Amino acid sequence: METKKVWWMIKKDLLTLWRHKVQFVSLVLFPILMIALCGWGMGGTVENTPVVIVKQTTGDVTDQVINAIKADKTFEVKDILSDPDEAKRMVDNGEVRSAIILSSNFEDEGTRNAILYIDSSDQMTTQMVIPTTQRIFASLSEQIEMSKISSLNRNVGFFEATSQSIKLQINKIYGDIEYIDYLLPGVLAMTMFMSSMLGLGNSIAGERERGELARLFMTPTSISSVLSGKIISQLIREMIQAIILIIAAMIIFNVVINGSLFLLFLVMLVSVLCFVGFGMMISATARTQEDYIQIVMPIAMPMMFICGVFFPKETMPWLLEKLSYFLPLTYANDAVRAVMLQGAGIGSIAMDLLILLAFTALFFVVGVVRFNRDI
Amino acid sequence: MKYAIETHDLVKVYDNDFKAVDNLNLYVENKTIGGILGPNGAGKTTTIKMLTCLIPKTGGEARVAGFDISKQPDEVRNRIGMVPQLVSLYNDLTVRENVELCADFYNVDQKIKDKKIDDLLELVDIKYAQDKYVKNLSGGMQQKTSVVASLVHNPDILFLDEPTVGLDPTTKRVLWDLMVDLNDQGRTIILCSHDMYEVDKICDNINIIDSGKVVANDTPQGLKDQLLHNLEENNRHIRETILKLEQEGIDENREEINGLKSSLTDESEKITVMVSNINEDMVNALEMLDVVNDVKTMGNGRLNISLKRSETSVNHVITSILANGGNIASIKTNDPTLEDVFVAITAKTRKEIKNGN
Repeated sequence: METKKVWWMIKKDLLTLWRHKVQFVSLVLFPILMIALCGWGMGGTVENTPVVIVKQTTGDVTDQVINAIKADKTFEVKDILSDPDEAKRMVDNGEVRSAIILSSNFEDEGTRNAILYIDSSDQMTTQMVIPTTQRIFASLSEQIEMSKISSLNRNVGFFEATSQSIKLQINKIYGDIEYIDYLLPGVLAMTMFMSSMLGLGNSIAGERERGELARLFMTPTSISSVLSGKIISQLIREMIQAIILIIAAMIIFNVVINGSLFLLFLVMLVSVLCFVGFGMMISATARTQEDYIQIVMPIAMPMMFICGVFFPKETMPWLLEKLSYFLPLTYANDAVRAVMLQGAGIGSIAMDLLILLAFTALFFVVGVVRFNRDI
Repeated sequence: MKYAIETHDLVKVYDNDFKAVDNLNLYVENKTIGGILGPNGAGKTTTIKMLTCLIPKTGGEARVAGFDISKQPDEVRNRIGMVPQLVSLYNDLTVRENVELCADFYNVDQKIKDKKIDDLLELVDIKYAQDKYVKNLSGGMQQKTSVVASLVHNPDILFLDEPTVGLDPTTKRVLWDLMVDLNDQGRTIILCSHDMYEVDKICDNINIIDSGKVVANDTPQGLKDQLLHNLEENNRHIRETILKLEQEGIDENREEINGLKSSLTDESEKITVMVSNINEDMVNALEMLDVVNDVKTMGNGRLNISLKRSETSVNHVITSILANGGNIASIKTNDPTLEDVFVAITAKTRKEIKNGN
């Protein structure tokens, strides 16, 4: 008898799932998305890091260096320049992650110097690019010295020769970044994002489900008034949460914020506004909190992997990298990281802020237009 | 303004092409208590949602408190209050905070707001609990708070959707009295309910909705009388047909005649009389009366009597009992109830839909 009851419960739940299309589609799509993104995005290999090479002389050794860098999967050579300052500017502006600057007398034996000018705020890339560059230069040095030894028919120790052939100087423009320093901006952006999403779910879809919103919408009150109140309250909640997170990181892990605290709050404010707008747009037509969660999770979870929270987006497959430019978390993450780690000013992150504001406007307009007064 | 609610061919079609309201013509007179009845899925809730401007209509016209629901929604909202079935108050706010929130959403004048709220809390007798969180209140008190929140802007029309579901009989009666009081003050009350006793007790007029249309509209007594009338008419028609068939030949039409006879409905009037000293002569005398079809002695002094319907049938019974020395404690007539009316009307509608009419 009890078995029959248990069977009925199983049958009922499965039938409910089958008949509730939103839940069913989410159930199927979510694991596919997660495994695909983890497989592609979290493979553990940093590839296609954008780099520029500064070539100030011509010659065989220079060509060998450039070809070796181009051949390595870690790098994607964006340009070959002649001006070191232009290359450094590109790294400073975040157009590329690093610049490999070959000295003006690179073809002269004994004075072959190279500088790896790298954006160390991206800890993961730094950890991959520095040893890879060192390996390439060591290998080339070995080849040069071996050919020299062959020609001179001398028996000189390999390691001694290697160390003297090409001298590589590493210049980390933001110094040595601790893992917590690197992680905090991403965690901050992600926390604001997830918290805004879930908070809005309860605030709008939950109240809709419980009939509380219907009571408000039966009064002579516009949809935008009700939503504005909800957005502001959500904004306050998320800002408090973000401030607590920063203070905790500063006290517990001695995290230092290199940029302006005011600018950081501005970035956080714009980001939260954008995320709240996104949540509002989703909740505009979700009848229940469960529906809302089922719609939001398959969108929110992949965003965390695609948008550079844990891994540089440049290392993603082409399609995912391009997709990240259509997602607001990318710009929030970039701006927070730029202010906290690079000490960026308003000019450096203006584009990120403008894009976030454009997303916000879009989400709000679509959300208000699609919002349904009905319970 | 004669009607608080008037709809002309009101239509609502949902996105999935389901026609929830189908050319509905509904009228509720101003300052009356109007009941809206209907089986589940009949279109009541959709109608209420349209009338309270929660969802847009698809076609037709509707005016609430004299204002067009599509063209003047805020005028409508200012003049209506709604007590939903789902209490829908903020659980983590106090009673007073919930009411204040509604007052501000209805733009109630700040100068009179506090007094208005005090008066309403006193009216429903929950002022003593005004600082309690809603989540800590009983169902009845939550519903009273909901009523206050719906009345805070002094609406002309109050919609109540199943307001007494799950409440104990005493609280139900308090809410019924409140509805009647509010009506006496000049408000129109629209009551949606499945509680036939409640509707019968307090409504002046009833609209029965089925399949998105008004299928009956009358006073509670009018609907019951109409049911009896329809029953008599139906029986009369069957008897005429039987007579005609018998004239054509009883043997040839025996099967059809028997079928028709079995479809005749019992239209006798049933009464229950409590007599403290029932005796055999009394029962025999009752059975001898022309107006009496059947007498059953049920014990405890109860007589169940089936009568032919006429204005004087009950008089004959009383006279006979008294003549045989009986002491009548009470007489109860078992007329059709509103539930009988509801079942008969909605069953007929379903049958017509099934037959494609």
